[in-house]
Amino acid sequence: MRKRSRTVALTILGAASFAIAGCRDEQVQAEAFPDLATCEAQAKSEGLFTVDQCAEAFAQAETLHVESAPRYDSLAVCEEQHGVGNCGSEQDQVSNGGSGSIFMPLLAGYLIGSMLGNAGRGMAAAQPMYNNGRGGFTNATRTSNFNSNSGRGTLNSQQFTRPARTMGQAPMSRAQATSRSGFGSRSGSRVGG
Amino acid sequence: MQKVTLPERPNWRETAEEVGFTFADMHGEPYWDESSAYQFSLAEVENDIEDPSTELHAMCREAVEHILSSDALIARMGIPEAYHDLVADSWRRNEPEIYGRFDLAYDGNGPAKLLEYNADTPTSLYESASFQWQWLEDQLAAGVLPGGADQFNGIHEALIERFRGLFDPNTDLHFTAIGGNTEDYATVEAMGWAAREAGMGAHYTDLEKIGVTKDGQFVDDQDRIIGTLFKLYPWEDLLREDYARHIAGSGALFLEPAWKALVSNKGLLPVLWQMFEGHPNLLPAFFADDVADALVAGQKPVPAVAASFDRAADAIRAGHVVKPLFSREGASISIVENGDVTETSPNNDYDDHPKIVQALATLPDFDGFHPIIGSWVVGGTCVGMGLREDRARITQDLSRFKPHFIID
Repeated sequence: MRKRSRTVALTILGAASFAIAGCRDEQVQAEAFPDLATCEAQAKSEGLFTVDQCAEAFAQAETLHVESAPRYDSLAVCEEQHGVGNCGSEQDQVSNGGSGSIFMPLLAGYLIGSMLGNAGRGMAAAQPMYNNGRGGFTNATRTSNFNSNSGRGTLNSQQFTRPARTMGQAPMSRAQATSRSGFGSRSGSRVGG
Repeated sequence: MQKVTLPERPNWRETAEEVGFTFADMHGEPYWDESSAYQFSLAEVENDIEDPSTELHAMCREAVEHILSSDALIARMGIPEAYHDLVADSWRRNEPEIYGRFDLAYDGNGPAKLLEYNADTPTSLYESASFQWQWLEDQLAAGVLPGGADQFNGIHEALIERFRGLFDPNTDLHFTAIGGNTEDYATVEAMGWAAREAGMGAHYTDLEKIGVTKDGQFVDDQDRIIGTLFKLYPWEDLLREDYARHIAGSGALFLEPAWKALVSNKGLLPVLWQMFEGHPNLLPAFFADDVADALVAGQKPVPAVAASFDRAADAIRAGHVVKPLFSREGASISIVENGDVTETSPNNDYDDHPKIVQALATLPDFDGFHPIIGSWVVGGTCVGMGLREDRARITQDLSRFKPHFIID
């Protein structure tokens, strides 16, 4: 009797492969900009996006920032998550009705996806970016980290899922803000053997 | 069993590159090495590796039952006391095992000897199940291996069957490992790929991106609830981390289940020896605390193991290996022969852990390399093998993976 499998396909390894091999998530061209002016300057040379699209996406990122930026119950907790000097009160960042005792990271850039214009079904064409306090950038839900707030790449369309609303919700305490990374702290240890 | 020199596939490096097997060379040393391969007879594989490994797995399950019947024994296994119930409950609920890898010393003569059981986070799954298989198919096609040559490697198909047997079609399963480790990721992906072929939804998330909801459920990096989590991360570490307190209430099924913490644990080795002393596939083993006085100071072992230690004393004194309860990649292991430390691993990450001593197995020597057989168990059955060899007698993370084939 044969002792080996009949077929074993060669698999593609790498961070994206679960998406590639599986329920194939759509890939989109995306570009990050630190601010609107950079996007507009790029649009005039060789950007993926036009000046109008820059403005439209920037407005959308600003809206999402107001609605869905991570909110913290103190400046200290916010700065722990996003770095010193990268936070401000809701009152200062939201045009009307913001609280002086809720703190949000400052908008540090935005990410535009090429589905701009036909984004729907809970999707947004642009996403706000924030300093992650470790030299990189993160998104509103703090689930993705980016090495930079300028650059181009192919991203999973999931990156453009509309983030959950945080406006009007209770801000995060320190315990809640740090409620990720509860596993993996012993990553110095090795698996396998 | 013999080692034979064979021509390498001319394009294997490109193939490895294409499929993302990017650690075929690690730290500038070859990890995948097909300049030679190990040849076995079918009888060697079936009688000396396959059947004994299946039997050893059943014995390990008996040992779990035995350990859980004794508070004193659980305490010796290095599981934090707060989580003894978590481990015991996972066993009582019959939470299923997916896979494990025995490391065996075997030279083609006499019974294979169990060195340890990587039952919780075995890696090298991808190179064993897939890349090694492709090597055989390519070498058969190229005429390098004669028609009829086979390989003990039903790992991939067995994993598919295992997932199919355990879960309803389209069940969402999550897979996780520490982000950024290519080698771990390859094992997780090979596993996820088998699950997907079994009709499951497979989702990957980096371990450190897992979160907890207000209701205590685990969520992935996109805030999807985790119902079943395959984690390539050792239980002994999980149980010492902040989120350990959420596991019991999370409603998530962990794979491997928590009871594997007792199996992928060098403390299993003395337990097995006490239960099955003299079994042909076992080496004498003792908890170091029980026999240290006898070994080092010429005094007596603790009474509970005195008789069995006496029976094994000559073998242990001639040569034994000191291993921490938990160690990976050969870390913090030393070999003692006739009272002298003759080999010790450069990595001492686990030096402060409790230890066991195990009689030294003679490792075969092929061209200056010591091969160790990894026999893969899926569910409760041995379904394949892979070999790694090292110049040193303590196999470390720079050892080389060697393909094998069967010719009768």
